[in-house]
Amino acid sequence: MTDEPRRRRYSIGVAIDWFFFVFAGLAAVWLAYLSFTETFNVGWWGIAVAIAFWVLLAYLVLPRLHRILTTVYVPDYFIGRARTSDGLLGDPVNLAFLGEADQIHAAMGAAGWTQADEVTLGSSWRIVTSTLTRRSYGEAPVSPLFLFSRQQDFAYQQEVDGNPAQRHHVRFWKCPDGWLLPGGSRVDWLAAGTFDTAVGLSLFTLQVTHRIDADTDIERDHIVRTVTAADVRVAITMLKDFSTGYHARNGGGDSIRTDGDLPIVDVRATTEVTA
Amino acid sequence: MTDAPHKRPAFEPASELLKPVSRDPEMKRPPSTFAGVLLVLLRVLAGLVVMAGILLNWRNTLREVDLSIEGVESTPEVAEAALIGVVIFLGVVLIVDAALALFILIGHNWARVTVMAFSVISITGAFIQWWSEDQEITITGSLLTLGLDILILLALSSRSAAAYARRKERL
Repeated sequence: MTDEPRRRRYSIGVAIDWFFFVFAGLAAVWLAYLSFTETFNVGWWGIAVAIAFWVLLAYLVLPRLHRILTTVYVPDYFIGRARTSDGLLGDPVNLAFLGEADQIHAAMGAAGWTQADEVTLGSSWRIVTSTLTRRSYGEAPVSPLFLFSRQQDFAYQQEVDGNPAQRHHVRFWKCPDGWLLPGGSRVDWLAAGTFDTAVGLSLFTLQVTHRIDADTDIERDHIVRTVTAADVRVAITMLKDFSTGYHARNGGGDSIRTDGDLPIVDVRATTEVTA
Repeated sequence: MTDAPHKRPAFEPASELLKPVSRDPEMKRPPSTFAGVLLVLLRVLAGLVVMAGILLNWRNTLREVDLSIEGVESTPEVAEAALIGVVIFLGVVLIVDAALALFILIGHNWARVTVMAFSVISITGAFIQWWSEDQEITITGSLLTLGLDILILLALSSRSAAAYARRKERL
């Protein structure tokens, strides 16, 4: 920290951005109110306006308000949970890895997992077409979740019988250099694995999202089992009761529960890293 | 223990929120920037439609202008000159708007801030008229242009659009 050149502590440009960010949020609330009242004034067109109102509310207004409020009251240090792009608490962090990125890619690939594409216009379009034509899209992107204020570095998934609504998936984040888990263990990567059970309307954010299976421990153990079964050199250390067992809800309003154990998957022995 | 990470305070100071964003010149253009540019171009398109309406109904518009100018001596020549002035002004505004959209697309922050500032002014004006002067905002009236302004502001003020516009800034 001290060796770095001295950097400015704050930026006026960022302050201006915050002004526009909050102003846009308030203006969007007003626009939602206007379109809601207008719904009742245009007869049958009210249905179309009501749909526009819902899209506006669920995808623009509420996320912006959540973003502003969670910046104020959700702590940004590690609490064992990933955060959604709105800043809400998301999936529980339930796996840790030791090793280089290449070794994790090799281990996950050998265990029958597929790396998810990044969210781009192209991959979004492919989701639409594969859903309409009922073709499978094994590399479908996963939504971004944030840990250490960063989006996941990569994600892996497994399809379930070509059913696009259900899938196993796990997101990976590289830990900052020199960062220790609460309790003092040093790990290289943290991961959050959950199982998508269905696509549905979340009553929490009003958005259409994947619902996840409440018992996240099943998915965690599934990941550990597949990776260890594929390569005997993968070693597991279990941090018992890393977090207390808890019930909670994720960013989509789905309930989650866990016993709080954190397996550390050590893939350092698997392959030589070709630098 | 000398290489142990520094402990952080349990609270986060407000100045943390104003830290410069990280520099990332290789950043790909986020969808929010693209959406913002599309919306600005949509606004330009709407302006072109208005302008075409004036030009195609030149005589009718001229008659309305003739009636609505008060105070000055209203001759057809004055009205025509005023209308030509309005059309030229509108044209310049549309060209500038389109140019700003292109500058946002290639990632210039000043263009983004300029467009957002004008959106804020226009939204504030509409709000004051709606709140204190009870001017109606309906779907057939000004709701669409107001909505466009607000959506432009939402898209361009999003964090990804801001990060893209500031991707080359030095810390």
